[in-house]
Amino acid sequence: MSVVAFILLYGVSYGLVLCLISVGLVVTMGLMRVINLAHGAFAAIGGYIAIGLMTHVGLPFAAAVVAAVAFVAVLSLASEKVLFVHLYGAPELDQVLMTIGVNFVVVAALTLCFGPDVYPIRLPPWLSGSVDLGFRTFEVYRIVTMAVCLVVIGLLWVAFDRTNLGARLRAAVDNRGMAQATGINVPRLFSLTFATGGGLAALGGAIGAPMLPLEPTYPFKYLVLVLVVVALSGFGNVRAVVGVSIFVGIVDTAGRFFLPDLGAFIIYVLLIVLMIWRRQGLFAARVAT
Amino acid sequence: MKKIPGRFVAAMALSVLAASFQLARAEETVKIGIVGPFSGPFATTGTGFRQGLEAYIAQHGTEIGGRKVQLIYRDSETGSSDPSVAKRLAQELVVSDNVALLGGFMLTPEAAAAAPVANEAKTPLLLFNAATPALLGMSPYYIRMGQNIAQPAELGATWARQLGKSRGYTATADYAPGHIVEEAFAAKFTAEGGKMVGKDRIPLKTVDFAPFAERIANANPDVLEVFITPGAPAVGFIKALAARGLTKKILIIGQGEAEDNDLHLYDDSVIGFHSIIYLSAALDNPENNALKTVLHQKFGPGASPSAFTIGAYDGLHIMYKMIESQAGKPFDGAAAIKAVIGYSWKSPRGPVTIAPNRELVQNFYVREVERKDGKLQNVVIKTFEQVQPPASAK
Repeated sequence: MSVVAFILLYGVSYGLVLCLISVGLVVTMGLMRVINLAHGAFAAIGGYIAIGLMTHVGLPFAAAVVAAVAFVAVLSLASEKVLFVHLYGAPELDQVLMTIGVNFVVVAALTLCFGPDVYPIRLPPWLSGSVDLGFRTFEVYRIVTMAVCLVVIGLLWVAFDRTNLGARLRAAVDNRGMAQATGINVPRLFSLTFATGGGLAALGGAIGAPMLPLEPTYPFKYLVLVLVVVALSGFGNVRAVVGVSIFVGIVDTAGRFFLPDLGAFIIYVLLIVLMIWRRQGLFAARVAT
Repeated sequence: MKKIPGRFVAAMALSVLAASFQLARAEETVKIGIVGPFSGPFATTGTGFRQGLEAYIAQHGTEIGGRKVQLIYRDSETGSSDPSVAKRLAQELVVSDNVALLGGFMLTPEAAAAAPVANEAKTPLLLFNAATPALLGMSPYYIRMGQNIAQPAELGATWARQLGKSRGYTATADYAPGHIVEEAFAAKFTAEGGKMVGKDRIPLKTVDFAPFAERIANANPDVLEVFITPGAPAVGFIKALAARGLTKKILIIGQGEAEDNDLHLYDDSVIGFHSIIYLSAALDNPENNALKTVLHQKFGPGASPSAFTIGAYDGLHIMYKMIESQAGKPFDGAAAIKAVIGYSWKSPRGPVTIAPNRELVQNFYVREVERKDGKLQNVVIKTFEQVQPPASAK
C-alpha cells in the first residue's frame, strides 16, 4: 500500500512538472510543424533566472518564478520573431540542426554565466519539510508543485477548450490553410503560442528545479524525456499531454523503484513498444481506415 | 680536396661540442610531465593539481639534488575526450620532451591507459587521484598519492559496527569504483557481525532520486554507505534522502560527495552527512597551515587544500625525493621507486608512509557536515590513525 502511494505521489508530481515543460512543445510542434529541440533551453533559462533572482536579488520564490516566466515568455517571443520564423516550412533536418545549435549556444552561455556545476537552490522555509498525509509523509514542496501544475493546466484547458482563442488555435492545428482562409491571423497565433509555450517551459523549469536540478546541460539532459512525452502525445494533442506526462512520470518512478539497475531504460522500452503499437500517440483517437 | 676533410672535422668538432653542451644541460634539468584536466567539466580538478604543485614549488624552489626541476603541463581534456588522450600525452612527454617523471592522471581509465608507457620507458608515474585498486598491479612504476577506494568503505563498515549499527545498506554509483565500494563495505560489515539489508546501484544519469530514497527507507537500515559522483547527482541524492527523513534518522557515510568547496551547492539538509576521507582542510598541523598560507597568498582566500591539491603537492614531494636519491647519477626510474618505498614524511594530511605495495599508510578522518560560524563545513569527529592499505593491491 505504502509502495503504491509512493509511486502515485512521486510519479504524479514528477509527471506534472514534465507536463508543464512539454506542453508548449506539443502545441508548437502541432501548430507550426517545427521540431524545436531548443525547447528545453527555455525551461533551463527560466529555472536559472528564477533561482538567480531568489538567491542574488532576494525576491521571494513565488515572485521570482513569475518574473522568470514573464521574462522567458518575452524572450521566446523575440526569438520566434528573429530565429524560428525562418524555420517555418524549412526541411526537418534544417530545423533540427538549427535548434540543436541554439541548445549548444544556451549551454555554453549558462556555463559562462553560472559555472559548470549544478546551480544550488535553497527552498524557502514554507516549502521545505514534509507533512503527514495520514498514511505517509510527503514533501510540502511536491504538494505545492502539484497544486500549481494542476491550476495552470486547468487554466490552459479552459483557454484551449472554452475560449474563442482556443477554438482558433485548434482550428489552425487541424488545418492551417483553412483556418487562414477563414480570416484567422495564423502568424500572430504562432507568436502567441510560442511565447506561451516558452513561458510554460520556464514555469516548469523554475518550480521543477528542486526535482530536475539546474545545470548547464539541462537543455539536453531533459530533452529526451520531453520528446518521449511529445512522441506519446501526438502532434498538437494538448489534451493528451497531461495523461501522457503523468503516465511517463509514474512508469519512470515505478521502474526506478522496482528495478533500480534498469529503471532508466524502462521508459525507453515502453516508448518503443508504444510507438510501434500506437504511432499516432497514446490517447489519439484511432482513425477509421 | 684537402679542404673538405678539414671543414668536416671542424663541423664534427662543433657538433660534438654542441651535443656535449646539451648533454650537460640535460644532466642539470629534470623534466616532469603533469597530465590533468586543465579544461572542460573536470577543470576544477586540474586547478587543484596546479595549485598543489605551484604551492610546493613556492615552498621548496626548483632545485633538488644538484638538478633543476621543470614542470610541463598537458591537458588530458578529461570528460570531453577519451582516456587515450592521456596515453598519447604520456607518450609525447616521454619521447619528445624527455620527462623523467609523470604525474596527475585524474581518472582510472586514464591512468590505466598510460601504464604501457610507464612500463616501457621505466618512468615513475604518481597517481594524484585515481583510486581503483587494480591500477597499481598494472605498472611497477605507479605510486598512489590518493587513496585506494576500498579503504574508506571498509573503515565506514568498521566504524558503523563500533557505533552498534547492525543493518547496512549501500547505494553506489553504477560504475567500477562504485561496485568496489559496495563489495568492500558489505564484506567488512558482515565479517564484523552486521547484516546487509539491501544494496542499490544508481545509474550515472539518474535525475530523480526519490525512488532510491524510498527503497532505502522501506528496507529500514541503520547505516547507509554512499558513493555518488560529486555535483548534481550527489546533491540530488542527498536532498532526496533528507526529504525522506533519512539524514536525521540513520547514519549516512560517504566519501567526497560533500567536500568543503561543494558545500555551497547544498542547503541545510546536508547537515549530519558523514564522510570518510584521507584529508581535511580543517586539520590544524604545521604542514597544513603552511600550505593554506601559501594557497591563500598565491590564489586568493577561496583556495583551500582539496584532495586534488594535496595529491599533487605530496606527489611532487615524492618526485623531489626520487630526484634527490639519484643525485650525481643519471636518473633511473626503477631505482628511484625503490628509494622511496618505506619513506615517511609529514604531509598536510598528517603523517604518511609509502608501503611496499606502493599505496600509502595514512590517517583517515571521519567528518560530519555542521553549520558552524554561520556556514556549512566538514568537521573532523574521529581519526583512524595510520591505516594500512588493503593487501589485495599488490
